Amino acid sequence: MKILKASIALAALIVAGGAVAGDSPAPKNAYLYIGWPNNGEVIHSNNFRVWFGLRNMGVAPAGVDKKFTGHHHLIIDAPLPPMDEEIPADNNHVHFGKGQTETRITLPPGTHTLQLLLADKNHVPHNPPVVSEKITITVE
Amino acid sequence: MKKCIMVAAMLTALIPGLASAGETPAPEGAKVYFIWPKDGATIKGGKFWVRFGLRDMGVAPAGVDKKFTGHHHLIIDDDLPPFDEEIPADNNHVHYGKGYSEGRVSLPPGKHTLQLLFADKNHVPHNPPMFSEKITIYVPAN
Repeated sequence: MKILKASIALAALIVAGGAVAGDSPAPKNAYLYIGWPNNGEVIHSNNFRVWFGLRNMGVAPAGVDKKFTGHHHLIIDAPLPPMDEEIPADNNHVHFGKGQTETRITLPPGTHTLQLLLADKNHVPHNPPVVSEKITITVE
Repeated sequence: MKKCIMVAAMLTALIPGLASAGETPAPEGAKVYFIWPKDGATIKGGKFWVRFGLRDMGVAPAGVDKKFTGHHHLIIDDDLPPFDEEIPADNNHVHYGKGYSEGRVSLPPGKHTLQLLFADKNHVPHNPPMFSEKITIYVPAN
């Protein structure tokens, strides 16, 4: 049983290389993070700014073909989507295809999660994927 | 000849819009600012990431023609350059033509000024020009 589990894990690991990311390369030291709010932040307003931090890589609007660039996507209250497909566009996956580096969002009171995912000109994540930490915030 | 020059000077004075900025429009309300450092900050060691704030506009690498986008330039220890020309590229005018929204800076001990100036695909500021407040930072001697 142990061996079977190990084999499955190994197989997943091997297959993963081919399926877990898009075709656009990202530099190894690319670093994506949510500059504000901080993880655990309690926000006393249902409308607030979020700023996007990106190091060692550039921002370009959707559709622009430039090496080591991409545009931001803010994932709200959802897990990461598949890394080898176009990121969906809905209320939980907000695209910033105009090259924005910050936004203003409105969320109802409660606990929410936020996560950034960078993607290439076709809205597909890079290889390796450039993803921020997932943070949890509370709107009061 | 003199008359001609006078007329030209008058025209320039009358139509400053033509001479004081580039041709690429910036949206009303757009803003360039420093997220970090703050004005008056003391930064030990002098090596730090400058975070470029941009509101209601987008970043695009140099050479990319997309409306309401541009790229950042960091002006170090210098005044704003002319707004109707390409921003010079030297140690005092650092271009971020790859679309960066942060830049790593290394400064010697002393007092320094930093200012952001946004510019279009040809490195010419927008109309109206988009620049940040000029901030002063201090790098203490070791």
